[in-house]
Amino acid sequence: MAAHTEILDVVAPRLVPSFLSRRARGIRRFIRRQPLGTAAIVVIVVLVFAALFAPLLNTTDPKEFGEDILAEPGSAHWFGTNRNGQDMWSRVVYGARPSLAVGLATVTFSVIGGAVLALLAGYAGGWIDIAISRLFEVVNSIPAILFGLVIGVAMGQGLWPVVIAVTVAFTPAIGRILRGSVLAERNRQYVEAAQVIGASGPRVMFRHVLPNILPLMIVIASTTLPAAILTEAALSYLGVGLPVGDPSWGQDLGGSARSLFTLAPWLAIFPGLALSLTVLAFNLLGDALRDELDPRLRGSGIRG
Amino acid sequence: MRAYILRRLLLVPLIVVLVSIITFSLVRILPGDAAVARLGAQAGSCEQCLEAARKELGLDKSYPEQYWNWFKNAIRGDFGLSTATTREIGPELKERSLVTLQLGLITIVFTILIGVPIGVISAVKAGRPTDYGLRFFSILGLSVPNFWIATLIVYLPAYYWQWNPAKKFTTISEDPLSHFSLLLLPALVLAISASAYVARITRSAMLESLASDHVRTARAKGLAERVVVFEHVFRNSLIPLLSVVGLQFGLILGGSIIIEDIFGIPGMGQMAGRAVFDRDYQTVQAVAVVISTTFVLITLLVDVAYAWVDPRIRY
Repeated sequence: MAAHTEILDVVAPRLVPSFLSRRARGIRRFIRRQPLGTAAIVVIVVLVFAALFAPLLNTTDPKEFGEDILAEPGSAHWFGTNRNGQDMWSRVVYGARPSLAVGLATVTFSVIGGAVLALLAGYAGGWIDIAISRLFEVVNSIPAILFGLVIGVAMGQGLWPVVIAVTVAFTPAIGRILRGSVLAERNRQYVEAAQVIGASGPRVMFRHVLPNILPLMIVIASTTLPAAILTEAALSYLGVGLPVGDPSWGQDLGGSARSLFTLAPWLAIFPGLALSLTVLAFNLLGDALRDELDPRLRGSGIRG
Repeated sequence: MRAYILRRLLLVPLIVVLVSIITFSLVRILPGDAAVARLGAQAGSCEQCLEAARKELGLDKSYPEQYWNWFKNAIRGDFGLSTATTREIGPELKERSLVTLQLGLITIVFTILIGVPIGVISAVKAGRPTDYGLRFFSILGLSVPNFWIATLIVYLPAYYWQWNPAKKFTTISEDPLSHFSLLLLPALVLAISASAYVARITRSAMLESLASDHVRTARAKGLAERVVVFEHVFRNSLIPLLSVVGLQFGLILGGSIIIEDIFGIPGMGQMAGRAVFDRDYQTVQAVAVVISTTFVLITLLVDVAYAWVDPRIRY
């Protein structure tokens, strides 16, 4: 025990600062090279904060009906109220929750699903590859919104139907890109080396090929996230998804925001701004990440 | 080349059949009974009428049988009767698909006219303020939801000047000029994100080709920069563009579901959106199959054009 702490006492002071300063250097470099990406991270942090601590941000219950109907934006209601007297500021702040939740969930599921299918198809080859590739092609040829609309209506209201609909619609496109990448990795020497020493198929796929397609997966995830948030908003706008009345940017933009526009344009303006800003921030972050991570672009002088 | 086209052509019916099976199954799990929807108010009172309606709609048969009956007629363009309105779907769908096709083509023209020049300028000025400005502009175009822009375009003029740009729709035979002018705004809205995407792809394709050896040779032999950019770089960048434009067509078809409704354009998209909410089984299925078939055919055309333009590509 004593010896153990002694070692730490000697090693730690030297280890920790060098590790930290390397991190700090990396972060400083990112800020210098990706000013827009850095601004995007700030916006995203603010958004996540707003979603997590929504009750503390001068909000009232976003579903609570109020006396003030269609009040203009002012000191009492920063973003005005809707025809039920619900406070739009509260609805916009709480609306960050479903957008971020659905976005993150669908991206996680579709990138993992796409990767598993791509590894299976690209590595196993033969009829498995043909079947999976055709499946990708079939689902890809149905527009995501139409697909989501049918699944959403079939499964009823709630977060999960939207997550499932968007995941199923997005997985094939991701799987297709990853399959190409797996096929390229397959012919590399390290795969042959792993096979020579007797590694099993799944082991080669998940322990050797997977880490090599990971940067591409991160890049795809970051570019898919804004698209997923937009698709969720479009489905909510059409009335599929969250139960009517729950705060959601997409839902607040459809229906009465349109019919009441000439009376109360703020109903459409604020949720739309929040949605656009969120998607913009994630797009900018995705771009910055792709610049930094995509090995195919690294050092080629091509920057997104 | 010929073998490749033949192989791709053989895949088209397979994909279309699979898509129709998927939509058929999805539509069957939609809640609500089509027979009840058909009868309306009297459904609750009359058990025999319900039975008769089921029989009439073919709902008393097994699913594979229902599918086969549907499929036999669908390949002849007969999509049966709408479950909601009992009107024939085929003729209406044909008319509406032509409207959506026109909307899609105008959108593609806008997409290329806006996206390609932005991408070319961005690449030529790479790393300079113009490039940063245009890139930010493209990302903005990808980020702002088109249904929000459409809402603002339709309702902001109404708010300020009591003027509504979404006018009564006129068919091409009634008044061709007003027909096309009505399609321009929705096409422009649909073109925003598509052209932003095209601009980004054009830029990176141009940059890649700017860095290649044949461009260095062209410059070394003293060609004017304008000739290098347009004759040597731009022509090479057209190849990846082709596939992007094909993919964007699918997104445009999807986007038309919302945009057509906001602008009051009687196309397939509007039909699809309404049919889903009316639980109109037959119509959803018909529109989904037609939209997907259109998309598969366009992808096929693009792939063939791809192989034709670039002889190095062999699948």
